[in-house]
Amino acid sequence: MILVPITYRGGIYRNNEIVDLIEDIGGYIVQKHVIASEVVLLCFMPQDDVEILRAAAKPLGGEVTDSPLVGTEIAVVIPSLEIHHLPHPACDIAEYLRRLGAKSNMVGLARGVGKRIAALNDEERDVINEHDLAVYVLGNFEKCIEHKMPVLRRGIEAPIVLCGAPDTEALQRCCDPPVDGYIGNVGRFMHRTKETEEITKLDEIVSEITRVLEKKRISIAKDPLSVSPARLMDLIREQVPEIHTVTSPTPLTVQMSGLRVKLPYDSFAEKIRSIGIEDGITIRDVADLSPSRMRDYILVRIRPFSETNVVV
Amino acid sequence: MQSVEYFEVECPEPLGGEYYNQIANDVLLDHNLIRVVHKLHIYVDPGLPVFVAVGVLHKITTLVRVRDFAAVNPLAGKIVLVLANETYLAPMLKIFLQRFGQDHVEQADRFTVILRDVSTDAREIEEIIVADPSESVYKDLIYAFRCIAPEGFRVRRESYVKSKFYFVASEDTLTADVDALLQAKFALMGEVMP
Repeated sequence: MILVPITYRGGIYRNNEIVDLIEDIGGYIVQKHVIASEVVLLCFMPQDDVEILRAAAKPLGGEVTDSPLVGTEIAVVIPSLEIHHLPHPACDIAEYLRRLGAKSNMVGLARGVGKRIAALNDEERDVINEHDLAVYVLGNFEKCIEHKMPVLRRGIEAPIVLCGAPDTEALQRCCDPPVDGYIGNVGRFMHRTKETEEITKLDEIVSEITRVLEKKRISIAKDPLSVSPARLMDLIREQVPEIHTVTSPTPLTVQMSGLRVKLPYDSFAEKIRSIGIEDGITIRDVADLSPSRMRDYILVRIRPFSETNVVV
Repeated sequence: MQSVEYFEVECPEPLGGEYYNQIANDVLLDHNLIRVVHKLHIYVDPGLPVFVAVGVLHKITTLVRVRDFAAVNPLAGKIVLVLANETYLAPMLKIFLQRFGQDHVEQADRFTVILRDVSTDAREIEEIIVADPSESVYKDLIYAFRCIAPEGFRVRRESYVKSKFYFVASEDTLTADVDALLQAKFALMGEVMP
C-alpha cells in the first residue's frame, strides 16, 4: 500500500466524519490544527483512496491537496541566531515550509559567522543529520559562500539545499563537491517577504526541496522500509499514553525514514522497543532507537526490508 | 533613501552590493535614521575582509520641550499637564521632581501630571527642555551599522566628530591601511575625514 502525503482543509462542522474516514481507509493523521472555525489535517492516505476522501470532503466544503512536505522534518541552517538572519529571511523560509506541512527546525550555528572563522561543531552536525533535509541559508557574497561552505557541510549526510544571494549558476560554481539543490537570489535581507516576487522565490525554494525529497523518496522506495513511519507514530500514540502529556506541538515528528519521539530516552526507549506491531513483530525487530542530540528525545530509525526481511 | 543627498554602496561583487544597498535602506528606515543621514558611503569587500561606512549627518537642532507633547493648563493653585504620549513622561517627571520637589508633583494617571503651588508660570513650564535626541543618535547609528555590516565582522572602530562619522568592521585585525581607506571614502563624498 503506497501512502501519499495530503492536506485536508475544511470547516470544523462534521470534521469528525473526515477524521473517521481517513482512519477507516487506512490513513494516518500526522497533525491536526483547529484554527478558529477551520480544521487543517496533515495526513498520509493510501494512494488509491484519495479520491474517496475528495468526494467525502466536497459536500462539507473541504479541500484536499497534495502536500509533498507532509511527514518530513527539515532543518533551516543559518550562521547564527542574530538579527542578521532573524526574523528575515530564516523565519520566513521556516514558516513557509511549515505552512506546507513540513516540520521545520531552525538550527543557528554557534560559530557559523564570518568567512575565516566559520565552523560547525559535532553537536550541530549530528542535529542536522537527524533531519530529512537541510536548507542552508547563507549570505550575499559568492566569495564567502565558496570559502565557508566546505566547513559548514563537513560530515553532513542529509541532502543539502543551498540558498544565497549569488544566482544559481554562481552557487553551483562555488560548491565542490556539489550539493543536492540550489536557490540563487535569496541572500541576507532585513525586511519581511511579502512582495509577489519574494513569495515566488519562497515557492521556488519549496519546489527545489520537493525535487530533492522526491529523489530521496525514490531511493527509499528501491529498498522499502520495514514499516511506515506513520504507522509507528499511530502505534506509539496508542500504546504510550505519556506522549499525550507532552506539550510540544508535534510530540511525535514523522520523518521520511523514521520518527522523533519527544519523550526522555532513558525512561521510554525500552517501552517503545517492545511495542508489538503485528504477528509478534515488535518495534525492536524493525527499527533502531537511539538518543537524539536534540534534548533527550528518542530517534527511531526504521530499517529497510533488505536488513530485516520483514514488511509490516 | 530619497532624503539622503548622497548614498552609494561600493562592492567588488555587484549583486552583493545591491543586497547591501537594500539592507542599509531597510535598517536605516527601521531605526528612523533616514532623516538624520545627509551623506552615506558604504564599502564592503568580502575579500579583505572589510566593511566601511562613512557619512555626514544633518545638524540636529530639535530639542524636545514640554509643549511638544503636553498641553499645559493653568488652574487655580495648580497647573495641569495633559500628555499626548508617554514617550518623554519619565524624563519630564524627573526634571519636575528635581525642580519643584516631590510634594508639588502629582501624577494623576498615565496621561495627566499636576503641579501644585509652584511659582513658575505655565509658559515657562512649556519651554522646559526634556530631551536632546542628538545625544542618542550616535548610539543608534552604531547599532544600525552593526546590523548592516556582515555578521562576524566583530573587530570594530567607530568615530563621530562634528556630525561626521565612520564605522569600520572586519573579522581580522584592522590594519593601518584603514585610515587611508577612510580618507578615500570621505573624499568620494567630497568631504574630509575628521
